[in-house]
Amino acid sequence: MTDTDKEKHGKKMQSDGKMQKIMTGYYIDAKTAGETGKKVAWITSGGPVEPLIAMDIIPVYPENHGAMIGASKMGADLCQKAEEMGYSGDLCSYARADIACSVVDGGPIGGLPRPDMLVCCNNICGTVMKWYEVQARYYNVPLFILDTPFSHTKYTDEAKRYVQRQVEEYVTFLEGVCKKRLDRDRMEEVGRLSVEAQRLWQAVLDTAMNKPSPMTCFDAFFHLALIVTLRGTQTAVDYYRSLLEEMEQRVADGIGAIPNEKYRLLWDNLPIWYRLKWLSQKFAAHDACLVADTYTSAWCMSLRYMTDEGNFLDSMGEGYARAYLNIGVDEMIKIVLEMVDKYDVDGFVMHSNRSCKPYSLGQYDIQRAVQKERGIPSVIIESHMVDERSFSESQTETRIDAFMEMIGQKR
Amino acid sequence: MITAGIDIGSITAKAVVLSDDRMLGSKVAFSGYNAQQAGKGIFDDLLKELEMDASSIEKIVSTGYGRNSVTFADKAITEIICHGAGAYYLNPEVRTVIDVGGQDSKVLTIHSNGTVKDFAMNDKCAAGTGRFLEVMARAMESDLDDFGPLSLRSGSPSKISSICTVFAESEVISLIAKGESRENIIAGIHESVASRISSMARRVGVKEPVMMTGGVARNIGVVRALERALGVSIEVSEFAQVNGALGAAVMAVNL
Amino acid sequence: MEKLSDFYEAALDTEKYIRNLKVKGKRIMGYMCSYTPEEIILAAGIHPLRLFSTKGTISLADAHLQAYSCSLARGVLEDALAGRLDFLDGAVFPHTCDTIQRLSDIWRLNTRFAFFADVVLPVKLDTESARQYMEDVLRKFKGDLEVGMDVRITDAALKQSIDTYNRIRSSLNTIYELRSANPDILTGSDLYAIVKGSMIMDREYLAKRLPEVIEMFKERTPSTDTEKKRIILTGSICDQPDIYTVFEKAGGVVVWDDLCTGSRYFEGLVGTGGDPIASIANRYIERPVCPAKHTSNTARGERLLEAVRKHNAQGVVFLLMKFCDPHDFDYPYLKEFLDRDNIPSMLLQIEDPLQSEGQLLTRFETFIHML
Repeated sequence: MTDTDKEKHGKKMQSDGKMQKIMTGYYIDAKTAGETGKKVAWITSGGPVEPLIAMDIIPVYPENHGAMIGASKMGADLCQKAEEMGYSGDLCSYARADIACSVVDGGPIGGLPRPDMLVCCNNICGTVMKWYEVQARYYNVPLFILDTPFSHTKYTDEAKRYVQRQVEEYVTFLEGVCKKRLDRDRMEEVGRLSVEAQRLWQAVLDTAMNKPSPMTCFDAFFHLALIVTLRGTQTAVDYYRSLLEEMEQRVADGIGAIPNEKYRLLWDNLPIWYRLKWLSQKFAAHDACLVADTYTSAWCMSLRYMTDEGNFLDSMGEGYARAYLNIGVDEMIKIVLEMVDKYDVDGFVMHSNRSCKPYSLGQYDIQRAVQKERGIPSVIIESHMVDERSFSESQTETRIDAFMEMIGQKR
Repeated sequence: MITAGIDIGSITAKAVVLSDDRMLGSKVAFSGYNAQQAGKGIFDDLLKELEMDASSIEKIVSTGYGRNSVTFADKAITEIICHGAGAYYLNPEVRTVIDVGGQDSKVLTIHSNGTVKDFAMNDKCAAGTGRFLEVMARAMESDLDDFGPLSLRSGSPSKISSICTVFAESEVISLIAKGESRENIIAGIHESVASRISSMARRVGVKEPVMMTGGVARNIGVVRALERALGVSIEVSEFAQVNGALGAAVMAVNL
Repeated sequence: MEKLSDFYEAALDTEKYIRNLKVKGKRIMGYMCSYTPEEIILAAGIHPLRLFSTKGTISLADAHLQAYSCSLARGVLEDALAGRLDFLDGAVFPHTCDTIQRLSDIWRLNTRFAFFADVVLPVKLDTESARQYMEDVLRKFKGDLEVGMDVRITDAALKQSIDTYNRIRSSLNTIYELRSANPDILTGSDLYAIVKGSMIMDREYLAKRLPEVIEMFKERTPSTDTEKKRIILTGSICDQPDIYTVFEKAGGVVVWDDLCTGSRYFEGLVGTGGDPIASIANRYIERPVCPAKHTSNTARGERLLEAVRKHNAQGVVFLLMKFCDPHDFDYPYLKEFLDRDNIPSMLLQIEDPLQSEGQLLTRFETFIHML
């Protein structure tokens, strides 16, 4: 490889700046909602945001906020503050950081805007329900829980009826809080935009099938913000369309995300937010590109079940109920194996995340299945995703080095 | 009335003899394997020093981990209650006591009459205890007694983020490898201990004045770091290490 | 104690007790959560057995569950993988918490028992749609059981089973009430043996035996010792007879609890009129709520305060299993509720096996001293 070749790889993406601008605008809107008379709803990352958008409610995501706190390395202090309030240090570090942040108005943006309502969908964990109960007591605002029964092996008819009834209850709840009716036509339009953004996001992630990959999972962790927060808006659709164009151009120009892609890896679980740069440099130094992950693709999972696009409200239930963290370990294994093949990876990096039991428990079984079915090496690194006090840099480094040696030997 | 308090801790045994409001003497020795012998031994040694006879002691209270092994004591009372009583004896204004010993750290708040209001204790984890400091002293190849004065010379304490003793030790080793100054690392270690203890202290709620007791109170670096972490000033009595035994002797008065 | 030897034997050597039942031709169904609709299992002629953590060391389970899962999940899995539960014909996993959800998958993929069922109960219990779903899920479970175990569950059998459970549950309630009134008529370890035994022993036997136990207690003369401090335990499960003993040694007495292996198991009976499955569903909707389920944001706090008042308790001890998220999330607010009413409380994190008795005793003695 020549020096000019090296230079063209690993370049910063143009979309990065655009994303930062959109997110800044979004948080300014949210923080000034009191002045504009708009209502603010706090919602879980896997929750149905589309009806909120259709009702002109500003959705705010404590989990996205948690990620920002982690990336700004402010997690440890806030988590400790939560422990002082009596919350165990074993609890989810997103939840601890957010609960403490409400009390001290800390974090990188001085806390989230006060909610008018809370919307909690338990398709990602039981933790969110407890976390939102805490916040419902603290802010004394109404809480809606969308209870999505766990689909260990299948989505039962009973569960389907239950979720469907709750979708209607959800609409009634929003109409009650906002004292206005939901415009069903607007709802369908928002639904259409949501599905379109999810398709575009999946297409962006799919560009990583190219060799070299134009993006890493660390890029995906960054560009994920909009599909989480603004899914269902034209802004998200436009953004992902231009991001896709940028990725496709990179592919056409043969630009790789890291200088010298020799190995391709798959990441499992949420990011370790306070060590993103360190990890990406660590792997790049081994010429390893983390081309895909099980986490960011979770926001296009519902595409699998979106049978009736003309009727979003009726068909969204199944998509939400069958989220990646609400299905059995064997179903997860199937998806991981699909990704191993699709992105043609040489190794599997599993983040055993003390903050997220639904994601982490079962990882050992998934690891064995991947080893057995595809014979690729894997490594487990442990942390609390935004609480760096439980992370050991030197131990993680040793594990990664040994893992990369194994992959190298296999070649 | 003459009373005695005997505190059998995980590392050291302490004894105090009290005559009404006057402390006649105190003694510290290593506990060794046998708590029963440790209690008897330190009591006898102290009496010998004071040239007193065992029969002149009217009541004896034992405390600490080995409290139930001190068979000649009239009563065994937990070290938490005794540290409260000891601190109250030394300064009746005290409302919060932070006791950091070899394997336990405790924070207790006390009522205006000297009784314990609430307390918290470390879980089975060495972070924030004397043991944590010992492990670090070994990693630093330093004498623990030098930790306090050395740390006060630090310009910018190192950041040791891990809670886990084993992980923190590897952080310390990599700081040494990076050539970080001994003073800064030790100051960082003290901040780490202070951060664990202050978190526990806030859980029970800190009310001033605050007194620190237990063996670790002799480490001025930890005391200063705790003061910064809690934003309060902390009183350390010259009897900090024998405070539990002193409290036991105080409790014996009212048996 | 010797008068309760049947309970002690079942509680302390469960395996032996169950193997005896097995010899008599009983089929055994394991479960780990008090939301398991035992009434339906019993109506199928199958013996429901509550599973507790292993008494051995955990090693096989470590290949499936991280060290940050609770000792209950790890311990039960250990016994299953080590073949110590080979008497089971199957296991039932109601929706409990994140850890048990994943344990259910791991169990299904790594064990070979004849029967397995997830009973994916609603998590929120305060809406009509949730009630309807509860009923639907229980009906589905009944069908799964009929097919999987090759039985027919008649309405008559369900009604009979409901009656048996109502008798067991109200007897346990009476025993608790008697102890609250006169703590000395039975020791904490007796109470532990009776409650744990009731989740292990033959249910028809229990329905007859427990009223005899009540008669026996009623004949005992209450002591006049009022020195003991009255404590309420709250938390998940307590499979630690030593805790009661250590408490009593320290001068306290447990007069009530809010435990999954305690009042949350027996409070609330099943209605006897109407459709039996609907009645069972109603009972599980209305029974005292576990923190992994949702009724209102303050239901557990209000209930705890009510128990303190009703049983004239002087203090509350939180017995929280390490890594139990739902309970850990509720602790600060429950403590705040207690603080507001000046009710002292103490937090104790427990794991199976129990930490050294020394530290426990220090904490308990200090707490009792404070009261």
